Amino acid sequence: MGTRERRERSKANDDSLVGLFHAALAFSQIPKEKISMVAVGGYGRGEMSPGSDLDILFLHANLAEADLTLFVKSMLDPLWRDGKQIDYSVRTRRETHQVSINDVKVALGLLDIRYLAGNRSLFEVVAQDALVSWKKNIRKFLPTVLSSINERTKSFGELAFLLEPDLKESRGGLRDISLLRALVLSEYITIPLDRVAEAEALIWQVRDVLHDLTRRSRNQLLLTEQDAVAEKLGLIDADDLLLALSKAARSVDYTMQLAWHAIGMKERRSLFRPTSGEPIARGLELFNNEVVLAKNYDIKSDPGILFRIAAVAAQRGKRISLETIAKIANIGEVSEDSLEVTGPWHEQMRLDLVSFIGAGEMMIDIFESLDQENLISRWFPEWEHVRFLPQRNVLHHHTVDRHMLETAAKAAALTRQVHRPDLLLIGALFHDLGKGYLGKDHSEYGAELMFPLALRMGFSSNDSEVLAAMVRFHLLLPTVATRRDLDDAATIDHVRNSVQNAELLELLHALSIADGEATGRNAWSPWKAQLVQDLVTRTHAAMKGITPPGPPELTEKQLATAKRGLLNVEIIEREDALEIEIVAPDSLGLLAAISAVLTVMRLEVRTARTRTIGDTAVTQWVVNLDMNVPIPSIEGLTDSINRALSGIEDLQVRIAERIRIYKRAAARSGLAIPPPVVSAITQISTESTIIEVRMHDQPGLLYTITSALTHYGVDIQGAIVSTLGAEAFDTLYVSDRRGAPLTQERADQLASDLQSLLTSQE
Amino acid sequence: MKLVTAIIKPFKLDDVKNALNAFGITGMTVSEAMGFGRTRGHTEVYRGAEYTVDLIPKIRLEVVVDSVDAEKVIDVIVKAASTGSIGDGKVWSVPVDHVVRVRTGESGVDAI
Repeated sequence: MGTRERRERSKANDDSLVGLFHAALAFSQIPKEKISMVAVGGYGRGEMSPGSDLDILFLHANLAEADLTLFVKSMLDPLWRDGKQIDYSVRTRRETHQVSINDVKVALGLLDIRYLAGNRSLFEVVAQDALVSWKKNIRKFLPTVLSSINERTKSFGELAFLLEPDLKESRGGLRDISLLRALVLSEYITIPLDRVAEAEALIWQVRDVLHDLTRRSRNQLLLTEQDAVAEKLGLIDADDLLLALSKAARSVDYTMQLAWHAIGMKERRSLFRPTSGEPIARGLELFNNEVVLAKNYDIKSDPGILFRIAAVAAQRGKRISLETIAKIANIGEVSEDSLEVTGPWHEQMRLDLVSFIGAGEMMIDIFESLDQENLISRWFPEWEHVRFLPQRNVLHHHTVDRHMLETAAKAAALTRQVHRPDLLLIGALFHDLGKGYLGKDHSEYGAELMFPLALRMGFSSNDSEVLAAMVRFHLLLPTVATRRDLDDAATIDHVRNSVQNAELLELLHALSIADGEATGRNAWSPWKAQLVQDLVTRTHAAMKGITPPGPPELTEKQLATAKRGLLNVEIIEREDALEIEIVAPDSLGLLAAISAVLTVMRLEVRTARTRTIGDTAVTQWVVNLDMNVPIPSIEGLTDSINRALSGIEDLQVRIAERIRIYKRAAARSGLAIPPPVVSAITQISTESTIIEVRMHDQPGLLYTITSALTHYGVDIQGAIVSTLGAEAFDTLYVSDRRGAPLTQERADQLASDLQSLLTSQE
Repeated sequence: MKLVTAIIKPFKLDDVKNALNAFGITGMTVSEAMGFGRTRGHTEVYRGAEYTVDLIPKIRLEVVVDSVDAEKVIDVIVKAASTGSIGDGKVWSVPVDHVVRVRTGESGVDAI
């Protein structure tokens, strides 16, 4: 089945319609030079699948409505009686033009106009009008065309990743191919249409066979029909068919992206075009609303560029320019001893990956664009096996790779529920990595793949084991919750023995929710959610809860420095970060003052550990290196801290300005960020109350928290501050002015007030 | 003919299915259900917020049988679904006037 059959089918319909047209004309009062019949849309292109509709247009020269109604009815009656699907309209040349400049669908349909019968010159002028009008109004139509593509994607998904795709309407399908042709006709941009020729031939063939087999005009390729369609096309099986369709759809989608990129560049060129972009991170700029590499930036000396650019783009809700992706892809072949293959990665690279994955929905598009240039498989060769991999499961909607991305995007909304958001996101991204290996349990084999992969990414051995356990047990909670007796102590023992600790339990719980939600409504109902919640609550009660770590221990050297009781600053430059140790006489608001100084110096805190011993506070900071931010001198930092301690007001204004700028950028990014979570723990330590803060990281966050605690009248005895990708997890050890832990009531009030404050600032 | 409906604990579904299969019943309709009986609501903590659970997850199983088998089928389900603890569920039957198998057009007991 191919183009020839479609043309023949179209010709057969032509013959039948032309015959009916002349017969109806003979019995009507209409002069033959006053009317013409033309085909439009898919029928106009002469491409008819067995179930395609007939789209026809009657053009007339101001004929009376009554005559036209009678004519059309008498002509189409025989077809209607045969059950043919016919879409028709009746218009003058002027009416056709008016409708086409106001309705993009009509304008697109008219581009494929083809003469069938009647007055040929009437057809010719309308065809000419349609093309001229399309070219003239293309810029006006573009926003509508783009929003229609987005609407279609929302309703019909993406052909490349759906297990039951719509061959016409899904993204990357036949509708998109027609659109690409229309954009070529506009001559507004040039598009390499030959890139989609093979894809087009395949999707058409699949649709023809589908229509033929089902005897219907339905375009959705259901699981139950895929084997039969594959057999007719001479493919091995349904998986082979879906794989071929995925590749075809991706080439269509990629060509469409190239087209919109070209349109974007052209649109902006006509305005006051800036000559350079706005620097947004080391080596990166925002240019024409896309993230690009800074001019002359040496990417060869920056192995972490890929995930940094991905993180920056995703967190800002921007795309990466296609030229930039191609430039990174062309860095060169991966050698056997390169970081991609051997690892372990630098810490900042891993954090950038986490930050990228944690951006949720926005991450998916960027991930796909990197995958199209094979950049994902370069860093994760394990990914290649699950790329486009279909899955035979009625609950699933997506291919394995896309399902894992969807799961990671859902997990991004659950990062506040766990103590280790980084592990949740990475575990979600790779939880089905073991799928598609014949004879192997995907959870077990996935865990075998996950462990070395995690080590390569630079996770500690312990964290790598947790990640492997997440993959191994990712189905444990839903399976046990729905199939085992939760009242039976043996059930809870079984889960407790498998999961071992509360940290893994909370990670598995969040992963189960994300996995279920990403799979679809049938896989994750309130019914199942409640059973899993019940199992988690019971198991949690049977195991030791998560104990927050104690305040940081100090070294002998630090204790000796602390004893001197004087302000002392040390700075050590690491490969991708600065380590700063500040020892200072303790005073109310000391931590807030130091945080303020670092924020104003634009030093981005990655981790911090502070501890007060007697009258002295020892604080250790790890801050990110940024080429746009000068490395402070010991004298300069000492001086700034001294000035801040003597009167912090001037810093407040500058910090407020930084937060305001950040908030404006964050609001523009459109990221769905879960609200902050603050909890107070009073039972663990007899010396202090623990305040845990989990929220999206932002400039000046530690300053905001510590200054709020200072205003609240509590002493900060110690703090452990971690940034895990874009997420901040801060543990603060506080006491009242007498050095005693807070009462439960006061601790709860403090947590509630702090949560309100942070929510209002996000 | 009778429609036998059972509300059982989710984890008992496999046991009940196997017992019904052994009895000779191979077809049934199973759906997720939420409800409560004597085991009224209890309190849970979910995502940090305390809330009262009024509805407990259960499985609803439905099977149409010949009237003469109804009592025995109920007995099979009760035995297989029982744990002896509270919340084991309920089984009931109601008369069915007419049944048609869509594919073949068979009706009555032949359609079961």
